[in-house]
Amino acid sequence: MVFFIDFPEKHITKMEEFNIVEKNNNDVAILYLEGFLDAHTSVELEKSFEKLIDEKKFKIIVNFEKLSYISSAGLGVFMAYIETIRNNSGDVKLCKMSDKIYNIFDMLGFPILFEIYKEEVETIAKFN
Amino acid sequence: MQNLINVNSVLENTAKISIFSSTKNLIQVRNFIEENAKKYLTDINIINQIILSVDEACTNIIKHTYKFEDNHIIKIEYYKNKNQFIVKIFYNGDAFDPNKRAVPDMKEYFAKYKVGGLGIPLMKKFMDKIEYLHSVNDFNELTLVKNI
Repeated sequence: MVFFIDFPEKHITKMEEFNIVEKNNNDVAILYLEGFLDAHTSVELEKSFEKLIDEKKFKIIVNFEKLSYISSAGLGVFMAYIETIRNNSGDVKLCKMSDKIYNIFDMLGFPILFEIYKEEVETIAKFN
Repeated sequence: MQNLINVNSVLENTAKISIFSSTKNLIQVRNFIEENAKKYLTDINIINQIILSVDEACTNIIKHTYKFEDNHIIKIEYYKNKNQFIVKIFYNGDAFDPNKRAVPDMKEYFAKYKVGGLGIPLMKKFMDKIEYLHSVNDFNELTLVKNI
């Protein structure tokens, strides 16, 4: 049986699809996400959370201002680490989401578990 | 003659892409859907819902059917008719009907800090119909329908 007569093109990985920059504001770590957060790139966000946990940085803000896209794989990263972080008296607070990104979080009820703010400055203030 | 016109019309409103079963190719799939959906749809929210649903479907196939083996082929086709934008995903492998997967209770999900299993709920929320067909030689056809 021949189901697939088209041979796919080789695709070179472009990790510039997604980028994370970490900055620190006193004891609060801020992750700035940029690009597309999907099943391929979510591994990079996992690494960032694991690095922060290893460094015992449990007060974490994620800034979504430059994030264009998120799938359930991206949402899963937040679920994977939130319990450990809260068990260490920390939290993950989210900010600067576009309506497109917020709608995905909201549709599944994530605001029940995560604080989501419009501005970064008010998010930092919530940790103080 | 009328039939011929209809056939041509259908052929003009379809296209396909094949990818290897790697998550690094999801961006190709999203670009394919976006590029083609924009030919017919103006509501960016609807377009984004279709893109995300197809991404979730392909991710599930790569993750659950192929266990991240990247040497399998997934074919994605779209069809646009008067009232619907339809995406069909063809692949070989074990049967998995997303319609038979229960949608999680999100209160319990968050209370127990569960992880994963949100792709199908997103697909079900965003698409108007999901059809699944498993046939001989483990041939699978997953159809996502968005009314427009």
